[in-house]
Amino acid sequence: MILRTLRISGILLIGGLVVEALSLCWNNAFSFMSFAVVGGLFFASGMLLFLYSLVSNND
Amino acid sequence: MPGPQTLVFLLIGASILLILAVVIRPSITASREGKIVAFIALFIVPIVTMGVGASEHMERSEQTQFCLSCHIMEPYGRSLYVDDPAYIPAAHFQNHRVPADKACYTCHTDYAMFGTIRAKVEGLHHVYVYWFGTPMHPIQLYHPYNNRECLHCHSGARSFEESPTHTAMMSDLKSNKLSCTTSGCHDTFHPVDKLGQVKFWKPTK
Repeated sequence: MILRTLRISGILLIGGLVVEALSLCWNNAFSFMSFAVVGGLFFASGMLLFLYSLVSNND
Repeated sequence: MPGPQTLVFLLIGASILLILAVVIRPSITASREGKIVAFIALFIVPIVTMGVGASEHMERSEQTQFCLSCHIMEPYGRSLYVDDPAYIPAAHFQNHRVPADKACYTCHTDYAMFGTIRAKVEGLHHVYVYWFGTPMHPIQLYHPYNNRECLHCHSGARSFEESPTHTAMMSDLKSNKLSCTTSGCHDTFHPVDKLGQVKFWKPTK
């Protein structure tokens, strides 16, 4: 279970990094919003999931 | 030497590789060293990369191109090319009294302590209103224009300091009691409602 959570967390974070890379290809308000909203959501959920996996791991 | 943008892309690439290592082999977290690697890959690295990306975006948001990327700002961008030196923004932009690539930001930032942060927060508010709210029409400044923003460059400049008109009212100008922009001296700005009636300057290149 913990390994699966780590995988999902990593995939979400990679998603955030891809959004960040794409957003840096343009310089306009849309790319900024993509980075802040979509990228931010990916990052936040990925990191929170990782932290959750730490506290829920009783092994 | 690679530029800042290349470095950001390299950092993103390295971060993806590191995270991929944990995604492909999450079993490495069984050992203590693996746990440390996972913590770095899934927590520290994303924070650093996100911070660097945010910083890069903030830097880019100062550019004229960024401000004019919102449809509502297009007339203001066109007004920078009005062929009439009476219009303050156009005269500043065309004569490079402000950096052409940061024209909006240079005049509309706040040169007080934490002014850059305040300008960024207001910029975020602009973006929020543009995407999720209803922008005011016509666009108005949030606060009356402060002389401090003009004096940031003009104060100490010979042409400004030696002008008898300015000298006579210098203390009022510096204390912001007398506005540069609304006291009748320099009150022509972005003629967005008259763009169909004015001549435009065409840069040679």
